[in-house]
Amino acid sequence: MSGTFPLLLRQTWLYSRFELHRLCMTPRGWFALAAFTTIWYFLLRYPIYQASVQLQQPEIQQMLSGMLGMVGMYNLLNWSLPELSVYWAMTVFFMPLAVLFAAADQTCSDRSRGTLRFLTLRSSRDSIFFGRFIGQILVQALLIGLSLSATLALAAWRVGELPWSALNAALLIWLNLLIVLMPFTALMALCSALVRSSRLAISLAIVSIGVVAGLLGYLVWHFPDLRGVLEYLPGAQLPMLLGAQGWDTLKHCGLPLLQTAVLLLIGRIVMQEKAL
Amino acid sequence: MSYLIEARNLSKSFGQKSVLQDLTFSLSAAEPVALIGPNGAGKTTLFSLLCGYLPASSGELTVLGHKPGSSALFGRVSALPQDAMLDPNFSLLTQLSFFGQLQGMSKAAAVAESRRVLALVDLAASAELKATALSHGMRKRVAIAQALMGSPELVMLDEPTAGLDPVNALQVRQLIAQLSDQASFIISSHNIFELERLCGTVLYLEHGKLVQQSQVHSAAAQGYLTLTLDAGVHTDVLPVLRQLPGVLAVSDSQKHEYVLQFDAELAPDFDLTVLMALREHGWRYRQLTKGQTLEQQLFAVTAKQA
Repeated sequence: MSGTFPLLLRQTWLYSRFELHRLCMTPRGWFALAAFTTIWYFLLRYPIYQASVQLQQPEIQQMLSGMLGMVGMYNLLNWSLPELSVYWAMTVFFMPLAVLFAAADQTCSDRSRGTLRFLTLRSSRDSIFFGRFIGQILVQALLIGLSLSATLALAAWRVGELPWSALNAALLIWLNLLIVLMPFTALMALCSALVRSSRLAISLAIVSIGVVAGLLGYLVWHFPDLRGVLEYLPGAQLPMLLGAQGWDTLKHCGLPLLQTAVLLLIGRIVMQEKAL
Repeated sequence: MSYLIEARNLSKSFGQKSVLQDLTFSLSAAEPVALIGPNGAGKTTLFSLLCGYLPASSGELTVLGHKPGSSALFGRVSALPQDAMLDPNFSLLTQLSFFGQLQGMSKAAAVAESRRVLALVDLAASAELKATALSHGMRKRVAIAQALMGSPELVMLDEPTAGLDPVNALQVRQLIAQLSDQASFIISSHNIFELERLCGTVLYLEHGKLVQQSQVHSAAAQGYLTLTLDAGVHTDVLPVLRQLPGVLAVSDSQKHEYVLQFDAELAPDFDLTVLMALREHGWRYRQLTKGQTLEQQLFAVTAKQA
């Protein structure tokens, strides 16, 4: 038994690393990277660049400050570069949706193809489940890092040099985005463990989010005192997160980390019990 | 005594459908074990239980003294699962090397081991191909190759030669025979003649029940000869064979094939007696086998039980 835990860690790391290998060394991964680059080229070239130029104008800044201030998001404009403000506002809503698609196939194809049967003779189901999840997080960390680097490069091209505060802000955004995406990645790990295709996993995730939100909404409609439960839905902290600034943003990481832990725990049970 | 596999009152149901019922058996490391049974008998389900792919509904099952799927069995038990395929996005070498690393090998050792097992199944030249570029037979051989990685103590093969051409099927049989000194094999197949050649013990499943567990060349099979004659009209063979000294019963199991039951104590050289009778009548024979064929051994018993 003494060797079980190191073995689990070693195998989990092998699975995580293999996800990076899948991204960087396979035609499927190259297509994903090419699509990612194309999307980000257009996002940087048009919305982010144009918006950051507009945000330089005092009258627009004043108008937006007033509008965002009314919804408690005044701090959105306080990131050290306007490019980072636009990047942060866009990605915090767009990336969770993208993750529902990108992280859908954590174990389902391997289950349907029978590949998991080869793997479970050599490694535990835990190492497969957690290894694939961590692998997805590593892939996201890499892609967010690349897109943030491109955003900083765009800002450097516009202003001539980057202030240190911009690098600090980029690091914070990178960390916050990873935390925001974790419960969605964990949700896809759970859905992927439940069904046999990525399409089904995506449908299941969307339907389950909708059904849970609908049921809670119905509950709150009839019992307004229970309004607090809506704050436990994945992504519920995003408006508050957009209203925070600097290291204060990390005050909102507790809920997504807790949601991640709960979803992973349920996913682990499903993975253990599921027939291969 | 520690068994290779031990099952006690093992049952598996899917909903209301009972697939395996109250199986109790134990197997020791010895000659390869054959798992035989008609379609739907529960062979693949038993395989899945042994590999830890499915949990049992009730009863106990241990493999090398551990619960199936336990981490203590990683690298010690391997299998060729039915219809399982490798990931189509990676080359055979990448995937087998990854399997090797999961089994605890270094990257270099895993690559070398992958190349070794691919060579065993004559696929060394296809190492850089992806699974999608392979024919059905080649995929089967890769799946066999992965089961031979490292030094497994128990190798379970579900229909190892199904879908293979005769040359490759022969190669796989030779490989199993060659490796059976180093590892214990459990082979599930519909090819009874193949199992007869390879295996020492037989588990016969029918309708989810273990109908018999026996040795291929068991004591019960002694006192029998199976004679296959050349094609031709031999209308008077049966009466002649029945007249031979020491004979107890003769049956014509198939066309030109006769099973002779004799008293081994009364007629210790009964095979010579049969050969002399053949010579006397000018009948040419194709095969004379001591004992019954596995087919006769199994189905004569099950027919009696029915």
